[in-house]
Amino acid sequence: MGEGEFSIADWDKNNKTKTQNMGLETKISEKKRRYWQYAKNMGVVFSFMSIATLGALAYLHLGQNDASVSIIYVLAVMFTARCTTGYVAGIVASLLGVFCVNFAFTYPYMSLNFSIDGYLVTFGGMMIISSITSVTTTQLKEKNKILKERDKMLLEAEKETMRANLLRAVSHDLRTPLTGMIGMANAYLEGGDHMSEREKREMVVNIREDANWLLNMVENLLTVTRIQVGDTKVNTNPEPLEEVVSEAMMRFRRRLPKAKVRVSVPDEFLMVPMDAMLIEQVIINLLENAVYHSGVEDEIEFRVTKEAENAVFHIRDFGKGIDPARLDTIFDGVGIDKNGSGDSHKGMGIGLTICKTIITAHHGTICAVNHDRGAEFIFTLPLGEEKNEQ
Amino acid sequence: MNNKPTILIIEDEKTIGNYIETIVTSNGYKALCAQNGMSGRSLCTSHHPDLILLDLGLPDIDGMEVLRKVREFASIPVIVISARTLEREKVIALDAGADDYITKPFGSEELLARIRTALRHSVQSADKPRAVVYESDGLRIDFDKRLVTLDGNEVHLTQIEYKLVSLLAQNAGKVLTYDLILKEIWGPYADTDNQILRVNMANIRRKLEKNPAEPHYINTEIGVGYRMRE
Repeated sequence: MGEGEFSIADWDKNNKTKTQNMGLETKISEKKRRYWQYAKNMGVVFSFMSIATLGALAYLHLGQNDASVSIIYVLAVMFTARCTTGYVAGIVASLLGVFCVNFAFTYPYMSLNFSIDGYLVTFGGMMIISSITSVTTTQLKEKNKILKERDKMLLEAEKETMRANLLRAVSHDLRTPLTGMIGMANAYLEGGDHMSEREKREMVVNIREDANWLLNMVENLLTVTRIQVGDTKVNTNPEPLEEVVSEAMMRFRRRLPKAKVRVSVPDEFLMVPMDAMLIEQVIINLLENAVYHSGVEDEIEFRVTKEAENAVFHIRDFGKGIDPARLDTIFDGVGIDKNGSGDSHKGMGIGLTICKTIITAHHGTICAVNHDRGAEFIFTLPLGEEKNEQ
Repeated sequence: MNNKPTILIIEDEKTIGNYIETIVTSNGYKALCAQNGMSGRSLCTSHHPDLILLDLGLPDIDGMEVLRKVREFASIPVIVISARTLEREKVIALDAGADDYITKPFGSEELLARIRTALRHSVQSADKPRAVVYESDGLRIDFDKRLVTLDGNEVHLTQIEYKLVSLLAQNAGKVLTYDLILKEIWGPYADTDNQILRVNMANIRRKLEKNPAEPHYINTEIGVGYRMRE
């Protein structure tokens, strides 16, 4: 027992000294870093100043007017401010610039003389201009940095909402069919004697339908796990467009053999960088949506075309279209509850949210529009591989 | 009725095992069930089944291990049962000697078709080495004359294209992996990049299929390979 306590205390002590050491180390490295920064800034100041001096000399050598020399120095000061951190370097550079101009480029040459005629205007002006430029440049840089950080935070927040929406849609879309299945199974087991053979059969058919629906839902969720959490990047391989389309169609027909779809792909052989399984899932989701939500059994049109640097997928139904109020938010997973989920559990929620996640991760775009005889979903995938790497 | 083909089902999930057993027995096969890899292996040595349905995710030993052990002493056709998301696993299993795979969830029709194909191929390889003619829905391939016709009209294929089509046709119903096809057609030192294969397949599709977006004769299993219709 005692031994144990001792060792724990010991361990604790060890740990403490360790953290202290670590604190010291970070302090030292912080100091080192500062010195390094300082040295770097001064290095930049001197190199720009020398370049300016050399430039001015060359300029004079070519027999040009010496009044423009100060402009060269002001420029150098601006570049210095751009390439250094903090205000000090820029101000040092402007001071140095004034001295250089006074010393080397104004009569009397090679001597400091602050009593030349009009000195105050020329050199004071140069001093002020270069200081202001350096300060403004530095400020702009700082501002840019802050803006970038804010952008990053906004992106994070957007991802967070997307995830929350997804979760909400999932729980809604999974619970409803499950409730139905459990209810029907219970009814079958409890009231089996009073029901006719036909009623029983209908129940089992319903259970099967719901189970199939759930299966697709789970496959949707599985595809999402292929998109790395927190990092919207996917493993893309160049895949022949027609093979992906045909496999998606095969899977879709296996699930809904009665649905009528007319498919066409471009004659040209196209390789499109993508994660084939994810894109197939998008196609299946959109086709299924068209079947369930168009309200008619007319043939669905699924057309892929090549437009500029994109492969464009059109899925067009000839049904009742989409409520215009929902067009903007249809991919966000919102509005599921508002819309009264009573009508059916085959909500559009999760499927479309997942489609959007997948397409965005591929650097493509997705949108929904109404045409004059129904709804159309359009998504694009960039053809060029270089666009897919960021 | 003693010579019903025997099918060994190695599957740890009881409901799925029962489901497969029901399908199989009600379609004229005899079923043997094992719930883990070890008993599956011993059943295989003691009963010499005609076909094995093997789930890869087993509780005791890796399904892949079972496959390798079976391949050590017998050429019994093996159909692997796998989950959809792992194409890599399917390819490894096929390259390790599995005859075919089926993805969960599957329908009874699909399963029975795979079983029939696998059994027929095993009989074929034992009796006669190859068929003389392949025929399916208007597409006819005469292997002796090297002649391909579609609805009676001759189809002009290049050398490589013909080799590809005939290889797939001789293994109709079975999935052939990219690697296997590349080795068969382009030789053992072929580039492992399957781009050239896929371009050739696209050309074949344009010559054979009415709509390349919904091929009728040659199906693609992306990430795995190609399967020709029986």
